[in-house]
Amino acid sequence: MPEIVLKNVTKKFGSFVAVDHLNMTISDGDFITLLGPSGCGKTTTLRMIAGLETPTEGEILIDGTVVFSSDKQIDISPSKRNIGFLFQNYALWPHMTVWKNISFGLENLKWSKEQIKERVEELLDMLKIREFAARYPAELSGGQQQRVAIARTLATNPQILLMDEPLSNLDAKLRMEMRTELKRLHKETKATFVYVTHDQLEAMTLATKICLLDKGLLQQYQSPLTIYGKPANLFVADFVGSPTMNFIRCEAKSVDKHTLKLSNQVLCLHFSASSDLTGVTGGPVTLGIRPESVTLSEDGKLKTVVYSSLPSGMETILRLQIGDLLLNSVVFGSLDFPVGSELNISFSGQSVVLFDQEGTFVTTGSLALA
Amino acid sequence: MTVQYRLKSFFRKPHNIILFVLVLILSYLTLVPLLTMIIDTVTVHTAEARRLKLPVGTVTLSHWAKVLFDPASVSIFYKPLLNSLITSLGACAIALGFGGTFAWLVTRTNMKYKSLLSSLCIFPYIMPSWTLALAWYNIFKNSVVGGTPGIFTALTGIQAPNWFAYGPFPIALVTGLHYAPFAYIMIGGILRNMDANLEEAAMMLNTPRSRIITKITIPIVIPAVLSTFLLVFSSAMSSFAVPTFLGLPVRYQVLTTQLYRTMNGLNPGQGYSIAMIMILLGVSILAMNQKIIGLRKNYTTVTGKSSNIALVNLKKARTPVSIIVAVFLFSVSLLPLISFALESIILRPGDYSPSNITLQFWIGSAADNTMANSEPGLLLNPTLYRSLWNSIKLSLACSLCAGTVGFLAGYAIVRGRGKKLSDFVNNLAFFPYLMPSMAFSAIYLSMFSIQRGPIPALYGTFAILVLAGTVKYLPFASRSGINAMFQLSKEIEEAGVIMGIGWWKRMTRLVIPIQKSSFISGYLLPFTSCMRELSLFILLVTPANRVLTTLLFYYNEKGWNQYSNGINLLIVLIVILFNFFVNKVSGASIDKGIGG
Repeated sequence: MPEIVLKNVTKKFGSFVAVDHLNMTISDGDFITLLGPSGCGKTTTLRMIAGLETPTEGEILIDGTVVFSSDKQIDISPSKRNIGFLFQNYALWPHMTVWKNISFGLENLKWSKEQIKERVEELLDMLKIREFAARYPAELSGGQQQRVAIARTLATNPQILLMDEPLSNLDAKLRMEMRTELKRLHKETKATFVYVTHDQLEAMTLATKICLLDKGLLQQYQSPLTIYGKPANLFVADFVGSPTMNFIRCEAKSVDKHTLKLSNQVLCLHFSASSDLTGVTGGPVTLGIRPESVTLSEDGKLKTVVYSSLPSGMETILRLQIGDLLLNSVVFGSLDFPVGSELNISFSGQSVVLFDQEGTFVTTGSLALA
Repeated sequence: MTVQYRLKSFFRKPHNIILFVLVLILSYLTLVPLLTMIIDTVTVHTAEARRLKLPVGTVTLSHWAKVLFDPASVSIFYKPLLNSLITSLGACAIALGFGGTFAWLVTRTNMKYKSLLSSLCIFPYIMPSWTLALAWYNIFKNSVVGGTPGIFTALTGIQAPNWFAYGPFPIALVTGLHYAPFAYIMIGGILRNMDANLEEAAMMLNTPRSRIITKITIPIVIPAVLSTFLLVFSSAMSSFAVPTFLGLPVRYQVLTTQLYRTMNGLNPGQGYSIAMIMILLGVSILAMNQKIIGLRKNYTTVTGKSSNIALVNLKKARTPVSIIVAVFLFSVSLLPLISFALESIILRPGDYSPSNITLQFWIGSAADNTMANSEPGLLLNPTLYRSLWNSIKLSLACSLCAGTVGFLAGYAIVRGRGKKLSDFVNNLAFFPYLMPSMAFSAIYLSMFSIQRGPIPALYGTFAILVLAGTVKYLPFASRSGINAMFQLSKEIEEAGVIMGIGWWKRMTRLVIPIQKSSFISGYLLPFTSCMRELSLFILLVTPANRVLTTLLFYYNEKGWNQYSNGINLLIVLIVILFNFFVNKVSGASIDKGIGG
């Protein structure tokens, strides 16, 4: 079964390190997203798995077979890696009809005419593009082109599907629709999906596991909810989630094994950790509070002033001011608040994150005003 | 990683193999000639040995001294240089003036018959550069410098003065008119793609039309204008046929004619020195052009999509302007052909009365044409057919070789983009453009006149013509190859790679069909250039493999006017027919390859 293993994979373009000693195992049947800001090395990683880019160092295994190894001097060509690749710009062949685009690869594999016909028809139905079979790519809308590209990629039954920001050229509505479609395809084809995106929402909603990269370095490789709830460091915490997490720098003093007293110019708080606080005894730390943990409450002791209010019907995104501190908050329901009005808040839940001086995850816990 | 493995993975990519092979071949065919030429500027040649009293092959600086620091330098080098600069600058002014005005009329006004005039306008550029020169000569030649007067004198009785008939004025004018279509394509392209909002924004502010043109439109097209200026300038500097026809009757020498004189005569060393200076000029012009194109990218607005701009209403002037433009274009594109036809059917030159008209120079037998050394009429003339066949064979061979190598070069350069090797091949493939044709062929002549390694002695063979033509026209072909490949995203090919489609099939089934018309213009440009090439072949041909253009030159030197005019007509017709044919079949056209 196709499992993809990357061992110490490094890619340099001249002196620029695009991917730095990446280690990762993608299990069979996973739907992995490679997530990160532009230039973080995610597309390079995908292209190295495909064999379109040659790593500078390291080893890549697909399905137990070494497809690339700088030490053993192995570099298997893309066509022999049993992969499909979906390009950002679709890369449909403009001079071929939809039918021909799908069948061309199969003809090359010397499939019989009947087999090809059967397979192409199957794909046309699967992707609901039967009525476009005789059209040329230029005569299709973006969403239809995308479906053709998927059909072409799936034609040869690849066990691994690599996708490079395939939805970024579509409008918001179509993108939602295609996300659902991709999840369905993942179920139907039972293939391993590796998906590159810079859109954290896309990564969250699609993936079984997210691989977050920054400047060529792996930041965290875990399930979406773990990444959201227990971000490995400040970068991950900041990158995932919208509106972004609130960060509050404080000075910590140890109270007991589970409790810290935190203070800065504006606030004075008690942090109760959900596990032992072995490492942190005091000194500067950073608190990470998700906007949904900043809740409005009549009896809340913390007074804030509304800086901005962005209602969207289902929820309202607030920016609240305490001294020179600005906090993001999400309030559910159809609400609006006048700018400048006063609101009382409290910090709810067990999911407040504590980062140490270096910005590394320590633990989660709850907050109360001291 | 071992060296072996590195090499193996390097050569696994087809574009690297192509780049590697091209480096070897092109270095031999362009860098070695350049080095040879540099050496030739400081050695004594057979022709100079006696005069310099030095054995052949001795190192000497006397060529450079003679060209640059001698009392004779003025007539050997400085005067021709000055003349070249004057005529080239004049040509630029005329090309930009006519081409730019026409571009503005077509893209920004409601002039009539736009599409017809636009295709008529490209004519002078498709025709050989000397076409207009020869027509000018036919029409305005006077008897002051000897010979018979031209059509103008025959019709009006007025002798055209020397300054008007020969020398810098007609050379600049004729060269300028030849390159005006080029300016039209370049400037017209910018005007067409320019975001009309820029002009409309000014119009909203109540800016007068004339001010919009001077303050908005012109500054935006300035980079394109400068770029055109430099390209026309360097082409005009290396033009040989025009100054030969219009300058030599009054001994007006430019650098190229001087080059021909010295190389073909007793001072090849001086010729090579002059050629070196021309190459340096070319390189610096090109460097300037690169810089300007780099700047042009700063005008982000130029890439904006064009909306429909309100065209300038010419009002009452509309019909007169349209007619004037039509008459003008007609006279520069069709009048020359008429003059050739006319000159080829008159018995006694200078007499255009109906009684003097004869077809004997076309269909007369050898016995009829005693005055031209019993040369049979053109249509019965075996020399003509042999030359015609040679020309077609040569043009086809050069276009096939240059077109194919150009396509491969374009493919490999774009795929290997950013690597030093790719840049190097790119420069190598473009370098022949900067070599003056005459010097280039002189070097090939000396390089391949003896056996070199596996290459046998090629002097007097057809192969040396093909070789010279292929290398000389490679720049055109590789440019269109590069353009075509840049328009094709590399994912299109990678989609095939992933499916295991082999390189050959990827080329023939994906890349080439998609960019068909661009690639065909890569073949078309070398063909037409070769068909009308004179200066490149003039030193290389022998009577056995004479081509149409050198036959034309031969008849012209002999003074058999009717024959040279007839051949000229044939060449122009073949080139135009071929263009028309390819355009109809493939949709490719000459203006696509110019990079407009």
